[in-house]
Amino acid sequence: MEQLETFIVESPDAVGAKTTKILIKDVLADLTLNRVIGRMKVYVDPVQPVFIFTALLRLTTPAIRLKDFAKVDMGALGKDEVKIELQREAFTVKLLNKLWEKYGKENIEQRDKKIIIVKVDPIKELDAMKEFVIDEPRQEVLDRLIDAIALRIIPEGFRVRKHELTASHVMFVASEDTLKPEWIQRGKDMLESLRSEENV
Amino acid sequence: MFEPVMYTGGVYKHGQIAELVEDLGGYILQKNIMQTEVVLLLLVPLEDMAIVEAKTAELLGKLTRAPLTGTEIATVAPTLAYHHLPHLDCDVAEFLRKKGAKTNMVGLARGVGKRICQLSAYERDLINEHDLAVFILGNYEHCIIEKSKKLYEGIEIPIIVTGAPELRTEDVPNATAYVGSFGRILHQMRHSEELRTLDKLADVIGNVLDNVRKEIAKDPPAVAPSRIKKEIEDQVHEIIDSLHPLPITLQINGARVKLPYEEYHEMIENLKFVEGVTLKEVAHVLPSKMRNFILIKAKPKSETGFVI
Repeated sequence: MEQLETFIVESPDAVGAKTTKILIKDVLADLTLNRVIGRMKVYVDPVQPVFIFTALLRLTTPAIRLKDFAKVDMGALGKDEVKIELQREAFTVKLLNKLWEKYGKENIEQRDKKIIIVKVDPIKELDAMKEFVIDEPRQEVLDRLIDAIALRIIPEGFRVRKHELTASHVMFVASEDTLKPEWIQRGKDMLESLRSEENV
Repeated sequence: MFEPVMYTGGVYKHGQIAELVEDLGGYILQKNIMQTEVVLLLLVPLEDMAIVEAKTAELLGKLTRAPLTGTEIATVAPTLAYHHLPHLDCDVAEFLRKKGAKTNMVGLARGVGKRICQLSAYERDLINEHDLAVFILGNYEHCIIEKSKKLYEGIEIPIIVTGAPELRTEDVPNATAYVGSFGRILHQMRHSEELRTLDKLADVIGNVLDNVRKEIAKDPPAVAPSRIKKEIEDQVHEIIDSLHPLPITLQINGARVKLPYEEYHEMIENLKFVEGVTLKEVAHVLPSKMRNFILIKAKPKSETGFVI
């Protein structure tokens, strides 16, 4: 899939549409979001006034769990402990912070660069610990996306907003006045047309 | 009549140009030394320009006319959020600074939206202390026109509006001039086309200020602002310790002195000129809205009856 297969800014004001397109390009480049958005349609009507932003997302990176980069096993026989053997060190700092937060600093012991002992009941905790989410690049991307759309792209005066954000699409309808149902419907229609393009 | 010019050249022997201008009765408004280069903002008597040009050629420097010299300009953004800063506002402010103006950036508290925009009394008074205000607006024609109808209420200084569409000045209500091809730009303006747009803005501002100067010349101020600056520098020694950028900022018919009003206003009011008058006889010394600085506005000749 190519990035930004559809990128349309519609507006009755042609100059405004052109400059808004440049503005969106700048923001996406600044926040390295080009690869995240597959198709995008924007509608602006300053007279109404309304700003509708719709896009289909391509979030690829899933959450990173403990089992993805470490072996999690029972500790020494007869002791209540879980042994974590790291295979990659890239996430050690985040992992330690998360473990300290959950189990308390006094229960975590790092004997070796790659071995961490957690003093908890292994029968209860072992399976949960394997699934422990250490990093969420997807969440971080979504945060950046919200930053881009809500804080940089939508005109600042448009403070009445409705948004829909899922892993597959994003829709923002914003205005200076109370939102009209037809604007929201228009946003939904725009999303629908993007989806049909995607499926062709 | 003085000609505002900017001298750029090497640090070596630049003192000679400064001394020459002082000897000719001109003024040195600002001196910036950047490593091996020096930039001087000068006011040179019109009839002596040839002498200064000859000296500049001898020192292998460059002399350019800087029509914005000795003016204080407010660049006003609807707010200080990501939408407007840092790129466009800073680019405009920086560019005007290069042309010799002192720019102050003003971010409004509630300047956003075409229906909900407001200007508070404090903001209005603060902007009115400048020689000119540049309002940096956005992309849409309708919004610029609607907003212009009420945002500039109470502003008495010339207003320059910038935006994306190419509008005629007459179409933008309450604006003294309008400059297009700006809009809400979120990258640094450095392409040749964008730099030409900035040049155009500087030209428009230059023209507007020239008109203001002509208007003031009909009833000239009793004392030249550059003279006020020189006398304060000579007589109020505390100004040397002021760490503010440009401790004495010149305006077209006055100056802003960056010293606390409560402590220094009496000293400045009683400043003596060799002609035998004190400053309060030829100018109003007022508290500024900017921090607790002092604002000096020269009285016109029609009020004092004489010019020094």
